Amino acid sequence: MNSNLIQNFITYQSTSANRLNQQKKQEAPKKPKPDFDIQKELNNRTFIKPLDGKGQLIKGSIFNSPAALVKNGIYNAKALKHAIQGNANDHELGKLNDLGLMLGGLGIAGYLFTKRQTPMTKGMEFVGLASFLASMAIWPKIAIQLPAYLIHGVNVHKQYEDSFGRKKPFYQDPQFLPWDLYSDEEIQKIGDRLGVDKNIPNRREFIQEKMKKIATQNNTLWMLTAGFAAPIMSGIICNLSEPYLNKFLDNRQNKEADKILSNIDSYAKKYQTNFITNNLNEVITKHKDQPVTKELEESISEIFTKYMDPLTARNFRADLREKIYGQNTYNVKVENIKEIHENLLKMFKKVRAFDEEFIQAIIPNENQIIELLNSNEQLNKDIDASKFRDITIAIKKLVEKNAVEYNKNNPDKQQDIELVRKLIVKNKADKNSSSIKVILSKAKSNIFDSKAITKLQKLAKIFDDFNAKNQALDEYALKKVGAAPETVIANYWNDVAKTLLKSLGFTSSELEKVHSDTTLISPLLRKKVDNIVANKESFNKLMTTMAKKIAEINDKLKTSDISTPLMTGDYNNTAYDDIVDGLFDSVAKELRNGDLGFERTAKGLVGVDGNDVIGTLKNLQKIYVKDRLLGVKSSFYRIINTLDMFRRISTDVNNQPALQGKYTEVKEELIELCKTITLEGHSSDYATKFYMLRNAHPNTTKAPVEVKNGKVVYHYLNKNIERTDIPGDKYFYQDAMRLMYEGDMHPDTMAILNETNIKQEVLNYRNTVLEKLGGEDYFAKPRHLIRAKNQTGSDVKFLLTGISPLELLHKTGKQVYNTNKWLKIFGGAGAALLGLTVFVQFFLGKMKSPQQKGK
Amino acid sequence: MILPINNHKNVIGFRANNNEDKKSLRYNHDTLLPNNFITNTRIGLDKLTNAFTVYPAKGLKGSKNANFYEFLTMGTVPYLVGSATLMAVFNFANKFYDHFDRTQASKIGKKMALGVVFYGLAKSLSKSLITKPVKALTGVDTEQPYAKVIYELPDHINDTDITSIEYHKVFESVEFPRWDLLYGDESKGQKRNFRYDKIAKKLGMGENLNDSDQEVKPRIKEIVVKSNLAKTISSYLWAASGVAFAFQTPWEKYLNNMTFKFWKEKEFKESMSILKESFVKSAKNFYNGEGSGVSKHAGKILLGASLLSSVVGVANTVASGKKPQKTDASKVINKDDNYVVS
Repeated sequence: MNSNLIQNFITYQSTSANRLNQQKKQEAPKKPKPDFDIQKELNNRTFIKPLDGKGQLIKGSIFNSPAALVKNGIYNAKALKHAIQGNANDHELGKLNDLGLMLGGLGIAGYLFTKRQTPMTKGMEFVGLASFLASMAIWPKIAIQLPAYLIHGVNVHKQYEDSFGRKKPFYQDPQFLPWDLYSDEEIQKIGDRLGVDKNIPNRREFIQEKMKKIATQNNTLWMLTAGFAAPIMSGIICNLSEPYLNKFLDNRQNKEADKILSNIDSYAKKYQTNFITNNLNEVITKHKDQPVTKELEESISEIFTKYMDPLTARNFRADLREKIYGQNTYNVKVENIKEIHENLLKMFKKVRAFDEEFIQAIIPNENQIIELLNSNEQLNKDIDASKFRDITIAIKKLVEKNAVEYNKNNPDKQQDIELVRKLIVKNKADKNSSSIKVILSKAKSNIFDSKAITKLQKLAKIFDDFNAKNQALDEYALKKVGAAPETVIANYWNDVAKTLLKSLGFTSSELEKVHSDTTLISPLLRKKVDNIVANKESFNKLMTTMAKKIAEINDKLKTSDISTPLMTGDYNNTAYDDIVDGLFDSVAKELRNGDLGFERTAKGLVGVDGNDVIGTLKNLQKIYVKDRLLGVKSSFYRIINTLDMFRRISTDVNNQPALQGKYTEVKEELIELCKTITLEGHSSDYATKFYMLRNAHPNTTKAPVEVKNGKVVYHYLNKNIERTDIPGDKYFYQDAMRLMYEGDMHPDTMAILNETNIKQEVLNYRNTVLEKLGGEDYFAKPRHLIRAKNQTGSDVKFLLTGISPLELLHKTGKQVYNTNKWLKIFGGAGAALLGLTVFVQFFLGKMKSPQQKGK
Repeated sequence: MILPINNHKNVIGFRANNNEDKKSLRYNHDTLLPNNFITNTRIGLDKLTNAFTVYPAKGLKGSKNANFYEFLTMGTVPYLVGSATLMAVFNFANKFYDHFDRTQASKIGKKMALGVVFYGLAKSLSKSLITKPVKALTGVDTEQPYAKVIYELPDHINDTDITSIEYHKVFESVEFPRWDLLYGDESKGQKRNFRYDKIAKKLGMGENLNDSDQEVKPRIKEIVVKSNLAKTISSYLWAASGVAFAFQTPWEKYLNNMTFKFWKEKEFKESMSILKESFVKSAKNFYNGEGSGVSKHAGKILLGASLLSSVVGVANTVASGKKPQKTDASKVINKDDNYVVS
């Protein structure tokens, strides 16, 4: 820290080197110049002058070198240290702002990181921060510094290092510019570039003025534009970097998931919290060797069933009750008798008809009840719940006897004996009831003994291990095929959908018009597909792109790890199935074996013998993965089949087996129906056996269908006649199904599929649809079956239909439209801002030269 | 221009003596201003207006009088414009999306906009958490403003309007604080060192010191540096807390019912009551957190870090490592040594 010139001077003097220098000077003074006039020098006070500066301009390119960044980092760290100690200078304090900005930014990104659910959204928080900071730094370089340099030859963000090594912008304060750092040669060179007349007086000063003017104007321009530029640039950077981050994270996630499956045991340790064991031990310490109360049972059940589904939990509770606690026993003690007595009094006092005297007369006192139970051998003895009734009856009889006695002794105060009987045997089991049974049932005498504890601890260990592995399996399933954003399958889905949209050639302007509604996209999609399939080259291009993209699924999700047998035709266990089987079967075995005998729970987990087809937790764990995969594969194989059918119709419509021997009008109806169903149909369309308005009396001509330039020309379908659905025509349904799914695929398609690993799956898909959907029965259109009746569940039918290409494109189209719209607005604004900023620079730095001024 | 102390009352007028020049400036010499709400608001408005009007005009013309103060003041422009643009980036395009997408995008967009507002509010308000305690504990008002009179070069020969006022802070430079402005005016009966006396007393350096100004100046410098650091770091952390606070789910209710149409009394009142409700719920949500692990405690951590930065910042500022000492002039120049100037 330096304060003023005098202090500098003193410091300077104290350095030994200079001191020596000075001493030398003193010792051997140079011969004074011949014209040296001491008086003149003193008058001019030239002997007090500042030291020679040690500042220098910083050379280098517009962007900082890594070395410079490190140097700046070190400087900032020192600045922070000095500030903490309280001796930083202004320049150092200025640097702390950058540090604070970064810290605050990290705070925001870090907080939002924890709030985001998926790796991508988490990652984007930091991309957002980095892009914002980068934008703030890059904008002045590309929009101000670079254009100014190219146009005027002046680096308006030139930096210099002052005598104390502090880096500062040269033009920071236009009122104090260290021009002495520029050599005359440099200034003159810049002047030449600026086109300053070589013959003007004080040329250097004029050039300097011009440079200063350009810098001042540019700095102002920077301040005026940066506010618009930084957020927009940051947004654009985020938008553009998103796909790359997505790809990176997708790869990483897929690899992570693969690792889970191959190291499931070690990975499960991550989830080994021993939650049940730890919590159970707390309960054990608290309740050991005490009676098993309802509360105790509840708390233990709660611990075990925390991570169970309700069904398994119900089974487990039943097993727990039966196998751990056994039958309940009760031990009625004197305290219980006291309670019974009090409750009887309370209960009778509620009845207005009974006065105090009557109640006191009939309710036996504690000793009487004790005596009664003692004589019946029901006091201080383990009894089971069936004895409650005997106790109640005995008490009832005693009270009844007293009441009868009372009525006898008080003929003028007769009381209702029947009511007395009813009150005593009142048997409501709710907590607030004061019935005798409720009090008796509290007197449980089962003991939470070491036998029960050992069994529970064993169970805890089994379920802790099971939960840990199960969670690891869940994580694997979620990462691969979970119904959540950014899973491997979700990323793949988006990728395929975007590829389809792009390959079909949907332009931004088309999306702008049709994105809002499927009814708008429908005719456009139809037109595009018809056009593409009409031409071999364009069809091959589209089919190749889509087939290759769709086939990526088998690389991302290896069929040996997880698969959907309906598509692959391979019903053997996959690696995932093996692990699930191993885990569930071993747990079920442990639960059944030995002294545990948790049969109900084991049955819920794996079924009777581990091979039950449905309804077990094990199967649920496996089927989830298969179903997710089935839905996705069906949706995409449907695209291949759809394009193939369009191609078959375009090139070879009159040789399609399904259309043979039909009237031309019916053929046209079939073609139209199949095109619509493949592009737009839902599972409900298959379930209702296709609803179509047709001509009930078709023209009986049997001419070939006309195809012109690869497109079918309708001769009958366009006629304006009344049409209706014909529910009795089962053949129409069967022919439609055949046209869509039966027979050979087009040779062009087969040639392309031969190059991929999904050929067999696509063929299986077609057969499965024909079998499962074609065999679906429907009461309103009986006998509309292509095969024998099929008992497939509606879930499989739904999954086989998948999403319609129309809907897929609608959803993706909307996303792409939204992104494009945003980019168009802000990208446009950003580009306009950049253009304007650069354009303005051509008008900066205009000055009249001294000669012009004189004119 | 820093005027010498001894003639600070002399009005140095470079203006042409033109009687018709009616423009009268609020100040005719550098003047210490009170650090209160009214003055600060007036200064803020003045600077804001200039930042968007006079200074850009001067800067774009490349005026020879443009200076660093004006450049720094113009820093408000990107700050405010940037905030508005950031809000626009997250909200403007939403209206073109279909209903569902619009609803989803707006949810984030509105919170983001609220985040921008809270960032600014938290950043500026949190500075008081440093400056107020520091003033109370040390007597040093690090934010004390003063008006500075600038004499500019005339733009042309008839330009008589060559003065302008800038609003600075006495301690905005730790290397060159405006000590001179803190001296009392003896002609008005003020004690020359009365301000320094107060600070010395607060700092526990004693009363009735002969030269309290010399005693306290090094201490003030240290306080200014340390409080500057505390202000910078803590204000950004508080700003981050502000953004995080804005991202709490309960705000959605307010953001969906928000109205500033105060003339529609019923709607406005309802909106205000929802604001209150959302504020309280969001604050609870922010503190208590959701989910588990770090996610659950993220709010507490951020809030704790902000609070800690303020507390530690004040503590570090107040705790002076240096003992008060007076520079001994005899040590600066050794009379036995030879000094040569060339």
